[in-house]
Amino acid sequence: MINHRIELSTFTTLFSLRRNFLRASVVAVLLLLAGGAAAQKPTLTFVPQWLPQAQFAGYYVALDRGFYQEAGLSLQIRHPRADVSAMELLKKGEADIISSFLLDGIKERVFGEPLVNIGQLTQHSSLMIVTKKKRGITKLEDLNGKKLAIWSSGFDMLPKALLREKSIDVEFVPILNTINLFLVDGVDAMTVMFYNEYDQIINSGINKEELNTFFFNDYKGFDIPEDGLYCLKETYQNRKEDLQKFVEATLRGWEYARAHKDYTIDLVVAEMNKAHLPNNEVHQRWMLDKMLEQIKSGDKEVKKGRLLEEDYYRALNIIKRETEDARQMEFPSLNEFYKPLAK
Amino acid sequence: MFINRNTLAFKIISRVLIISIILGMVTISVYYFYTRNTIEEMTRNNAIFLAENTVNEIEEVVRPAAKLPENLAWMIEAGSLPKDSVLPFLTKLVRHNPTVYASAIAFEPYMFSPERKFFSPYAYRNNGKVDTTYLGGENYNYFLMDWYQIPKTLERPYWSEPYFDEGGGNVLMTTYSVPFYQRKNNKRQFAGIITIDISLDWLTDIVNDVEIYETGYAFLISSNGVYVTHPDHGNIMNETIFTRAKKLDKPKMREIGRDMIRGKSNLTSINLDSRGDVLVYHTRLESTEWALGVVYPHKEMYANLREFNWLIVIIGFIGLTLLTFFTFRIINNLTKPLTKFAKSARKIAGGNFNVALPQIKTNDEMQELHNSFEYMQKALADYIEHLKETTSAKEKIESELRIAKEIQMGMIPHIFPPFPSISELDLYAMLEPAKEVGGDLYDFFLIDDKHLCFAIGDVSGKGVPASLFMAVTRTLLRSLAPKQQSTKAITEALNKSLSVGNESSMFVTFFLAILDIETGEIRYTNAGHNPPLLLRGNGEISYFDITKDIPVGLFEDYTYSEMVMQVSPNDRIFMYTDGITEAENQQEELYGEKRLKQFLTANPSFEPSELVTGVEEDVKKHVDGNVQSDDLTMLCVIYYGR
Repeated sequence: MINHRIELSTFTTLFSLRRNFLRASVVAVLLLLAGGAAAQKPTLTFVPQWLPQAQFAGYYVALDRGFYQEAGLSLQIRHPRADVSAMELLKKGEADIISSFLLDGIKERVFGEPLVNIGQLTQHSSLMIVTKKKRGITKLEDLNGKKLAIWSSGFDMLPKALLREKSIDVEFVPILNTINLFLVDGVDAMTVMFYNEYDQIINSGINKEELNTFFFNDYKGFDIPEDGLYCLKETYQNRKEDLQKFVEATLRGWEYARAHKDYTIDLVVAEMNKAHLPNNEVHQRWMLDKMLEQIKSGDKEVKKGRLLEEDYYRALNIIKRETEDARQMEFPSLNEFYKPLAK
Repeated sequence: MFINRNTLAFKIISRVLIISIILGMVTISVYYFYTRNTIEEMTRNNAIFLAENTVNEIEEVVRPAAKLPENLAWMIEAGSLPKDSVLPFLTKLVRHNPTVYASAIAFEPYMFSPERKFFSPYAYRNNGKVDTTYLGGENYNYFLMDWYQIPKTLERPYWSEPYFDEGGGNVLMTTYSVPFYQRKNNKRQFAGIITIDISLDWLTDIVNDVEIYETGYAFLISSNGVYVTHPDHGNIMNETIFTRAKKLDKPKMREIGRDMIRGKSNLTSINLDSRGDVLVYHTRLESTEWALGVVYPHKEMYANLREFNWLIVIIGFIGLTLLTFFTFRIINNLTKPLTKFAKSARKIAGGNFNVALPQIKTNDEMQELHNSFEYMQKALADYIEHLKETTSAKEKIESELRIAKEIQMGMIPHIFPPFPSISELDLYAMLEPAKEVGGDLYDFFLIDDKHLCFAIGDVSGKGVPASLFMAVTRTLLRSLAPKQQSTKAITEALNKSLSVGNESSMFVTFFLAILDIETGEIRYTNAGHNPPLLLRGNGEISYFDITKDIPVGLFEDYTYSEMVMQVSPNDRIFMYTDGITEAENQQEELYGEKRLKQFLTANPSFEPSELVTGVEEDVKKHVDGNVQSDDLTMLCVIYYGR
């Protein structure tokens, strides 16, 4: 039994966290201690927003191939644990750079956290609603009055905004992290990531012909980019050069991953084994392929690693609309929020 | 062994061999498929038995354990579990049930007491003793967890997907959750979830203990298709049957997986690259809704059959080789005399009738052949002996006939001109017999100084009898003619002499004439002969009158008539036998009187010798090489006068 959305990569619960949650605080302390080691080279700690998986392949590749080292950086990659998110680690100063969804990043900024986006990795939304065909939902409007499973831990803003815009009234069923409720027909539909849970459903024996899918990037104004790189404003001001090197080396890592998929998958699997995470090559390969597609600009006129202005304001709009007391809030301009470091 | 493809032995053996091989193949195939089916049927039964047995073994552990939370749910609903004894009860439950690793009773928010949102007493094993704690809190929102949310939503018990419990020593676990209800305000409403955590070690052991041949195995997958047990440990909890199907690119494996998670039982075959073709039987664990599969590699299933098949093929091959060898020997022995017979036959054909025949000791067709050969040898020898005798007899006859011909031709005058001293006339004649000796005759001689007797005749029949008859006729003529003065008298005397004792009823057509050399008067008698032609010196041509008299030799008292006619100088008398006019060419056209007359008319000034040889050439031209069927005889007399 798990208490976090821990196993993006698998279909099963990983730990009996009934007891693991008791130990979580111990882990946090250990992480703190580990952060102290300093080398001669400037040290950066990067924390991706989730546990090891192909979603972060580019970072592992850049580290393994020595791209960060070549750039003159000593980089450490840490992963968040059950009870401490990447964002929290950033706030606490235990992480210099984190990856986060654009909407989450903006939201944190709006709610007062002094963070900036220093690079936008993916350019598109992977979010989708999936439903079994036997449920008879063939168009978005059919969701009216149906149960839609949605993660309780965030990422709910985009689905809610879309359904509100379409005036579709659904019963949201908050879930933690598995697809099991969907598989046992406890809900009519579920929001999933195309690169992750969608493939888990397929890998649980449901054929894609048995599913109806609604991709958010098919709806105008909802193709919101996801993974971006964030640091505190202060870090940006003090270590701009190091950060730039990090962004460049990271992009290089992703390019290398695109050209060496087998190597990359092996690396990801090794990383997951190190973290004692269930894993399989098939799913990680799927995830890598989808991530590489998301990184491409597609129909958007944007350079690699850059955030498109339109995308920023689209995301901002959604936050404005979905935040109850939006009027009393200050919303940062693009320049305040986004500090492009990618060349 | 050098084999000549044309031998009888080769032909027989090749056909027998082909039929034997076909029969053998059919037999082996029928046997193979029958046995294969039997093995498959047995394996199928075995697989079903094994799988169901294993499932029962698992269920025997699972079902009693599952009863615990179910009973507890009933107890709570019935109010028979006081609130303050929940934790001790759980502790006892865990302690007394070795299969249960931990147990919890998780209440709905504020259900246990209005102050507590989370209330979930939890008893668990820890280093050999049972510890307790309470679950729930802001960092552990159990209401959203599968073990709570799913049975609550479905309103029925739920077996979680298996998971590794790191706290419990990294053992594979599953959680069984049962919803419980309470009456509040007279309404039965959902109150929470009771769980037990079960270690799956024993289950792994049961499944791993299943032995199927050398490399066969059993495996278990969860309701999501995740491998719970598998001989390749790397697959456990990492792979689902579907990711493996995708990795191995085996769509059929995915189909099997889908059938398995849908709870179907089925027997099917699939090719797994590493293990080759395998037979898979799968069935469902009714309690957890997981599925068990048993895998039987074809290679091992049919190993005995395959070995046996090889044995049969090898024995068959050896058998066929021996069969070929001995059949070859036997047929060769049987047919060896044939070759010898063939040699003997060739020698016999070469004339050696006494050649030794192969010795046959068997009493079969060869013996018959031997006998026939022997008989043929003897018959041939006899025949040839007889032939030799006949041939020598024939040769003798032929030489005698040749002599007879010479004699016959010697009897006929053939010196021309015959009377060089008599200037009043000239004559020419020829006789070309069709066979060695002929039946035609001519003759001429002077009776006295002024009378020339000449005659032409044709004996009925041919060959020796005809020639003898002709010789007699001619001899009689010579002896009778000087004594008689008229042709009539000569002919009658001749007729009389020939008719007497003529038992073979031979006869002669006969034309006899006597020319008075001084006067040119001709007296003649025609006994059935075709009339001669009279060629006048002025070019006129005419036949003698057609005779009414019969040939001589038929009736001895027949009275012949005598005719008289006058010839003028340069008149020619042309006599012939029917061999001339009836000479046939290959188109069976006769030379004919018309053509004869034409030739004679065309050459009015020809001497007798020129006329006779001219007609002969003309006839030969006509027959154009066709076989001469009758004697050719001509006699021509020219009268010059004084």
